[in-house]
Amino acid sequence: MPWLAPLVAMLVVFTIYPLIYNVWLSFHEYAPLKRSLVYVGAENWITLFGDERFWSALSVTLSYFIVLLVVQLVLGMLIALLLDSDIAGFGVLRGLLSLTLVIPPAITGMMFLLIEDPEFGVLTFVLDILGVLDSTTPILATSSTALLGIMLADIWQWTPFMVLIFIAGLRSLPQEPNEAAMLDGASALQILRRITLPMMSKVIAVAVLIRGIDLLRAFDYMFVMTSGGPGTSTYTLSLYAWQQTFSFIKWGYGATISLVGLVIVLLLANLFIYFTRVRW
Amino acid sequence: MIVETAATRRTRIVLAWLVTGLFVFPLYYWVTTAFKSSKDIFNIPPSVWQFSPTLKNFEEVFGISFGYLQRQEVGMGGGDFYMTPRLIDSIVVALGSTALAIVISTMAAYSLSRMDFSGRHHFVNWILSTRMMPPVAVAIPMFFLYKDIGLMDTHLGIIIIHALMNLPLAVLLLKSFFDDVPREIDESAIIDGATRWTIFRRIILPVASGGIAATAVLCFIFSWTEFIFVLTLTQTGLKTVPVVSSSFVTSTGTAWGNMAALGAASMAPAFIFILLVQKQLVRGLTLGSLKQ
Repeated sequence: MPWLAPLVAMLVVFTIYPLIYNVWLSFHEYAPLKRSLVYVGAENWITLFGDERFWSALSVTLSYFIVLLVVQLVLGMLIALLLDSDIAGFGVLRGLLSLTLVIPPAITGMMFLLIEDPEFGVLTFVLDILGVLDSTTPILATSSTALLGIMLADIWQWTPFMVLIFIAGLRSLPQEPNEAAMLDGASALQILRRITLPMMSKVIAVAVLIRGIDLLRAFDYMFVMTSGGPGTSTYTLSLYAWQQTFSFIKWGYGATISLVGLVIVLLLANLFIYFTRVRW
Repeated sequence: MIVETAATRRTRIVLAWLVTGLFVFPLYYWVTTAFKSSKDIFNIPPSVWQFSPTLKNFEEVFGISFGYLQRQEVGMGGGDFYMTPRLIDSIVVALGSTALAIVISTMAAYSLSRMDFSGRHHFVNWILSTRMMPPVAVAIPMFFLYKDIGLMDTHLGIIIIHALMNLPLAVLLLKSFFDDVPREIDESAIIDGATRWTIFRRIILPVASGGIAATAVLCFIFSWTEFIFVLTLTQTGLKTVPVVSSSFVTSTGTAWGNMAALGAASMAPAFIFILLVQKQLVRGLTLGSLKQ
């Protein structure tokens, strides 16, 4: 077992230590006058339940997670079905789609900041022409549209993730069931619903698991595009925890919020693995 | 295959190029912005196809003269947006963390692939759980740990945290590549008197070298694009490209051209890498769970 020792040591540093330290920290708070941490009991946890901004961050995190998971899943499947073909040039298209996956999300955030700029942004311009959104409404500075503006960046960057996984899944399916169903006179839609999608269930489960984890941890886009504003409309749990800790020097409270985020991800992901029986 | 008529086939081709075009457009717009002067960037309506190209932005960001600016104007190391050192930070961190992650994970992945021990399944799940940790929940404790042990604001500190972050990916992905190497090879080598270490070095590593290279590429990319650990654990000693991008936003406006130049230059190596590992990409994105 000595082969595993370095890995175990590093995993302890990365999982067990942060967990214990965060729990310990959540019962303490930085006291500026004493310039040190003092024990405050359950005070941070009590504050948390009465903190409207925490509940808002929780609801933003969960709606971001659910909306984008559904949108990227459906869009990803549609595009995968479209691109799963040996037509000349489609390999190039798949290669082009994979490019979005290696761009730093912070840079993607900047790209969409430029595209959605209220004065000279391309998207603002197009939406104004189409009459969808008046160009006097700044997308990212209006609380009703700011989260949508961020979601667009996420959809752009990560829908190809779903597409590539689903195409690989579609290609690994046996063709016989489709052919048999076609001989029996099944329509393309029936084949998709009754044969293709059920056979793809493991592939879909893995894609949903990995994408879901990352959506629940969302931070980079909000940090560079809106810093959580306007108001609290784009605060996620991760961003709120980070800001409390490092901008407002509320070390204990930041740790408390980050613990809530951690428990939510671990709980949902492990429940998902348990029920879908995904195995590594 | 569902039989396609010529008409549906044509519709499909047009639709496929259109959809891909929509995804490529923001990238096109960003890269062309790197070659625009402020006049073209701030133009209303936006100049998408027509602009007078310049290398000025690259000159300012990398301190090299292509003749668009006078040599003294380039301001070697003096300009506000001189970013060559930040690019070097990114490269050092990405290479270092990739090397560290690969060394630790090849050994661990080999033993996970070959040795049967009770609780192996739980152990794999624990590795997977590491992939679920929200970075902020790790970054806060690490901030205090790094301050105490002097790793704050150092290349080594970021190399270690990025290697830690990449371990679940690297171990699970490498395990899947090692699983592809038949166990019979190990067994016959053991009969010939080879030790585990010899088998690992002489047989497993060479046979799985393609998989190891693909894993290394993905580790490199995830370190290259990582944001929150660098944001939290550095001050002035180093900054990687993603984190430094916000410094182009100043009180007098945003230097879009310069930022796009840095962004475009930093994407180039990642684009080349990702096209090189296209065949193993889906396996990598799913942590070894799906094979193409």
